[in-house]
Amino acid sequence: MKLISLVRFAAGAALALGLLASASHAEEPLVIHVGYAAIGVDNRPFAEGTSAATARAGEYLEKEFAKDPNIKIEWTFFKGAGPAVNEAFANDQLDFAYQGDLPSLIGRATGLKTKYLLASGTRKPLYLAVAKNSGIRKIEDLKGRKVAFQRGTNGHLSAIKVLEAHGLKERDVQVINLDSAGTVAALTSKDIDAAFGDTQLINLAAKGSADVIYTTKGNDPRFGRNAGIIGREAFIEAHPEITQRIVDAFVKAAQWSSDEPNRAALFELWHKSGTPIPIIEEYFSNDTLAYRNSPLIDGLLVSQYTEQAAKGKEYGLIRRDVDLEGWFEPKYLNDALERLNLKSFWQPYGADGKPLAS
Amino acid sequence: MTAAIASTRLIRFRRGVTLPILLLIAWEVSSRIGLADPRFLPSLEDVAITAKRELVDHDLIGELAFSLMRNIAGFLIGCVAGVAFASLLALSRTADVLITPTFNGLKQISLLAWIPLISVWFGFGEQAKIAFVALAAFIPIVLNTYEGMRNAPADLVEVGRALRFNARQRILRIFLPAAMPSIATGVHLGLIYSWLATVGAEYFLSVGPGIGGLVIAGRERFDMALVMVGVLILGLVGFLFNRFAYALESYLLRWRPQQE
Amino acid sequence: MVTAFFETVIRAGEGTPSPWRKALALGVAGAIFPAVLLLLWWVASDRGWLAEQILPSPVYVYETARDMITSGELPYHAGVSLRRVVTGFAFGAVAGLGLGVAMGLSRRVEEYVKPLFLAFAQIPTLGWIPLLMLLVGIDEALKIIIIAKGALVPMAVNTHAGIRGVSPKYIEVGRALKFSDWQTLRFIVLPGAIPSIFTGIRYGLTHSWTSLVGVELLASSEGLGYLLVWGRQMFWLDTVIVAMIVIGLVGFVMDKGLDRSEILIQRWKREEI
Repeated sequence: MKLISLVRFAAGAALALGLLASASHAEEPLVIHVGYAAIGVDNRPFAEGTSAATARAGEYLEKEFAKDPNIKIEWTFFKGAGPAVNEAFANDQLDFAYQGDLPSLIGRATGLKTKYLLASGTRKPLYLAVAKNSGIRKIEDLKGRKVAFQRGTNGHLSAIKVLEAHGLKERDVQVINLDSAGTVAALTSKDIDAAFGDTQLINLAAKGSADVIYTTKGNDPRFGRNAGIIGREAFIEAHPEITQRIVDAFVKAAQWSSDEPNRAALFELWHKSGTPIPIIEEYFSNDTLAYRNSPLIDGLLVSQYTEQAAKGKEYGLIRRDVDLEGWFEPKYLNDALERLNLKSFWQPYGADGKPLAS
Repeated sequence: MTAAIASTRLIRFRRGVTLPILLLIAWEVSSRIGLADPRFLPSLEDVAITAKRELVDHDLIGELAFSLMRNIAGFLIGCVAGVAFASLLALSRTADVLITPTFNGLKQISLLAWIPLISVWFGFGEQAKIAFVALAAFIPIVLNTYEGMRNAPADLVEVGRALRFNARQRILRIFLPAAMPSIATGVHLGLIYSWLATVGAEYFLSVGPGIGGLVIAGRERFDMALVMVGVLILGLVGFLFNRFAYALESYLLRWRPQQE
Repeated sequence: MVTAFFETVIRAGEGTPSPWRKALALGVAGAIFPAVLLLLWWVASDRGWLAEQILPSPVYVYETARDMITSGELPYHAGVSLRRVVTGFAFGAVAGLGLGVAMGLSRRVEEYVKPLFLAFAQIPTLGWIPLLMLLVGIDEALKIIIIAKGALVPMAVNTHAGIRGVSPKYIEVGRALKFSDWQTLRFIVLPGAIPSIFTGIRYGLTHSWTSLVGVELLASSEGLGYLLVWGRQMFWLDTVIVAMIVIGLVGFVMDKGLDRSEILIQRWKREEI
């Protein structure tokens, strides 16, 4: 008897709390939550080096919906990078996100219901920086040393591939899990011997606080990293028109980011992330903008994701087979390319890495 | 007599401030004559300037307010849920026998070990942080409330039975008052743990305004002065919470005969 | 009806005169709830009601635990964490005991040291980590200092309180018996303060364990806290849950161990007197 009344009391309290919670959820305007698997210097809500970063800094999505007062865009930048984006997808807190290859594959393998809508930030190089006076001159010297990267990001998989190509396994080095800002701090204070990363390391080397001894740039393209815009399946199904407009906006951003005359303006825009412009210039040296900012889901991209999935499994980063069947959803991208007259704007590549004749 | 008390007080005060003052002097001197690397030990002046910069140019008060809001929201949820849950366990023999062992098992999991699951269950944003703070307050409050209610004087319980109190009356008139000292202890511990959890949430969950985030940012920028300002505030808030809890305890228990 | 069933089980247990059967009945009753939860969890994930990315199936958690034990990974990380806690706790407990005894025995020391000590104690352990990271880096020293700090504060506070709590009458007795200072400490003050010191050890160990997880979450390449980070980053919730269970188990064992030794010491004390 007493238990029942207590349970009733508890149920009542829970119900009241639930009502409160749902009341606060029932907002009238539709908020589209867009995530970005990185964060700017000193936690600025901006990034650099991808067409998604352009879309953010140039407010492409906001402009796309400028005439719809009922649709709001909300960006979230994740210090926890790709893995944190997965956590947010698991809670339905994001509708779209820019995310690297490994974390999005991990999410797929773990059962997140997502779709790959278009590429953004493809073929990004990875750098290896070492602490001053660490005595590390080549990758083989990393054996037994303290090496930082952010676990579960696309840099993680890329780093293992680089190590593997030089006869080392992940276990041969002491891996310290650090985010981008933590890496900069630890490398400067020599708490770690080396770190894998990108612009933050170029910047550190430019300031003379570390030495970049290796980059995948110009090396084997297989070491490069990819990323893309991931959408939540339930949102896409519920709002196909909105999804189309989101993809349109990202494609427009990609187009602007791929036009060589915009190079200086583009780097200026990306500089909002706090990364100095010369560093971004270095990051993009010898690459055409169109090569790095292509949104195409071409043979090369699909084959690289397939390989990342296989390698991720082989290295024990992904524990189950990733079913890529039906994950890529190029419908919206193709529609956008068609309407925006961009069908032959970007050069598609085949699975062998060679340009396809279009 | 009063003069003697006053002079012993003075001695105590003098002794109490001696070490801190010596420490400050040693600090200032070593940073002045360049004995210590200013990167590791900034001068007192630097710390003061940083504190002023954060207060005036940046929104230090706002950051603190964010942390406190999170802390208080989580703490209140943890408090209410904790007292309710403990009442259930203490008053229903069935619930006690069935659930208490599970609770005792789960409470052994160190608080911070919940971070990954909280993060997956609640995602980014405030709700994850508040949930974590609530959990931190929940555990000590349940433990102490339960303890207090179980030790309610048997004769009081007997009286309640004789007067045919219903469940609500028994909770409000007998068990809650009887358990008040224990609940006060639980609340006190809950306050301390929830402050720790607020800092933990700001470290390990998503980026957002708050003192914990400020400290982490200070470390990442090698700004020792900023870290010190942050740590000082953490300590100060902890101190005020402690004081507040003591005051609350003695207020809540004012009707009881004085101990000692 | 379910409630009625449980009532019967409990009453059956309580009704028996045999303490063994009673303990058994209570144990069974206490196991029902987790068993039901486990079953619900299993069914829910098996049927797909519970998304895997929110809570992976218990079968999967079990398999991961088994794999991690047979590969030696789990024992290795647990060993690393235990070693850290034991070392850090030993330093912190000894320092805390010393500080507590000094403050307890001498009013002068207390008046000089206590305000500063209390001020330091107000800062949550987590607050010290970034500061110490700047000072000593992220190596083993950081972990040991943080864990030691976790043990030091409750140890000092409780030792101090315990010694202060020893009735002055006993000390009078000692003086009448012409005890030396050492004898007073050894035979009167310390035995009187033991229960309180034990409380200090207990809280100290709990705090050390919590601090360990915190410091391993923030900067580490091994240990149970690192397993948590690792699992979180790789989205392996099964690994996270396994690490949580081990952290809970170790906490439980330490707690129970202290419980036992506390009882033993109390008994020994009584026998000695």
